[in-house]
Amino acid sequence: MQIIFNGFVTGIVVTLPALAITLLFGVLKFPNFAVGSMLTLAAYIVFTFNVLFGLSLLFSTIISAIIFGFLLILIDQLTFAKLRGSSSITLMVCSLGLGFVLENIARLMYGNSARSFAIELARPFFFMDVRMNREQIITIIVSTIAMIFMYVLLKHMPIGRAMRAVSDNPSLSLVRGIDSPLIIKWTWFISGVLLTIGGVLIGMDRAIEPPMGSSYLIAIFAAAILGGLGSPLGAFVGSLIIGIVSELSTLVIPPNYRIGIPLAVIALILIFRPQGIFGKPNIKK
Amino acid sequence: MLSFIILMSLVICFSAILALALNFQWGLGGMINFGLAGLYALGAYACAILILKLNINFFWSTILSMLIVSLVSAFISIVTLRVSEEDYFAIVTLGVGEMLRLIALNEDWLTGGALGLTGIPRPFSNIIPSDAYIYIFLGAYILILCACIFLLNIIAKSAFGRSMRAIREDDVVAVTLGKNLLWTRVRIFAVGGLLIGLAGSMHAFYYQYIDPTQFSNIVIAYAIMAVIAGGKGSHFGVVIGSILIMILLEGSRFLKEIIPGLGSDQLSAVRIIIIGVGLILVLIYKPNGFVKEYRLNV
Repeated sequence: MQIIFNGFVTGIVVTLPALAITLLFGVLKFPNFAVGSMLTLAAYIVFTFNVLFGLSLLFSTIISAIIFGFLLILIDQLTFAKLRGSSSITLMVCSLGLGFVLENIARLMYGNSARSFAIELARPFFFMDVRMNREQIITIIVSTIAMIFMYVLLKHMPIGRAMRAVSDNPSLSLVRGIDSPLIIKWTWFISGVLLTIGGVLIGMDRAIEPPMGSSYLIAIFAAAILGGLGSPLGAFVGSLIIGIVSELSTLVIPPNYRIGIPLAVIALILIFRPQGIFGKPNIKK
Repeated sequence: MLSFIILMSLVICFSAILALALNFQWGLGGMINFGLAGLYALGAYACAILILKLNINFFWSTILSMLIVSLVSAFISIVTLRVSEEDYFAIVTLGVGEMLRLIALNEDWLTGGALGLTGIPRPFSNIIPSDAYIYIFLGAYILILCACIFLLNIIAKSAFGRSMRAIREDDVVAVTLGKNLLWTRVRIFAVGGLLIGLAGSMHAFYYQYIDPTQFSNIVIAYAIMAVIAGGKGSHFGVVIGSILIMILLEGSRFLKEIIPGLGSDQLSAVRIIIIGVGLILVLIYKPNGFVKEYRLNV
């Protein structure tokens, strides 16, 4: 039980970044390798407000989310916007370069040592013989609220519908009068918010350090692919499965190699069900 | 100064072979390999372990390490059995690369962990007098590089090279014309793996010690920059690209004198930022490189 619960929390930490990857993939059509470093940078921005300026964690997360959302729009304008329409490999390589830059900006400004948010320690408590601590409960509540919000946004709000339209068929949506550059900006903004929350949750779970985000990169991609790249519901279910499976795996294999589990999952899905659990098969024209 | 140029030329030789391997897989074959750093580490470690732990001579350990990397690469490419999109493939290669680096870092009994392996002997270092050695060493490395370019040019013009390019341009059309997609991809990766293993072994002989920090993902950025700057698909261009990148890289060592007050951590961070920005700028402003790919004309 304890292991399943831990795995559940490990998985749910990854849901928001996985959702961000899925949204970005849907609209921009390439896997963004810079997401790991973006998580790190977002966590450091929150850290700046929380620890250096002494604001409360909730308040600094809100400010940072807005700042980081705009920052991502700016970054997109400087890099990916100039490469729109290039092959997805070019965009991936660009995101790889961007990842190096962002991670090392964080390293340059905050150094290599591990930091943590200013939150007081709380005693873990027991519920049905399972040990939980407050951070885990916060993680579950925040992620669930964010997921429900994202679901409503994508299904029932005009922006969400437009985002889905752009990701389904960019040229048709353009013909139907959807302003796709604006939608891309919105997607980056929403991803920025999701990544900031994700960065805070990961930073609460572990310490904030420069390689923090990139160490989660493979797990995030595994979650998104398992659910089907481009499917928000899939990102959620995929993250939970990855979390629980990799936590269970530590019973059998040394914890240093936990990254191997998401990797094996990716390889198996690609061989047996490339479209993921909730994705639609992609027929090549 | 002369010895600095010689050492840089040696580094350029094996970096160029690594870039040629990426060029073969990506520039000619159209399959990006983000696991390059991990496979490069595998080549270097395999060679070093064979020499140090199993006392195999330098020639056979190089050959064996090339074969090992080639097999692992071929195995990775089988994952693309059912997906034709590069996106997924890129993620898989990135993951395998990470995994290989983790193994190097964690299996202390085999790889020496974070300390790495030391005391890798250079070939014939006991026979050749030490003052002449470095020149002969450089000559051998340049010869190997030239041999690689020569062989790659032959492959690129052969039937296999043509079907590679056909698959890169449009895999569906290539398959309808009777090309075996999976088999071609496996061979592309296997040949690329041979080159990566060779570059890794040369790396091990040059530095004489290896540790996991030498094989961080930034290696991929160098190789990609060399390939793009040199012009995808052109072997000669890729070598020129590697020379340019290495001059830029080694030049950035002198940053310390330009910007005072930087610690070594911050200095390496600044260097990586410069490399990342350079990569993005090359992609945006010079995506086709300096040298065009060889094409058959009617």
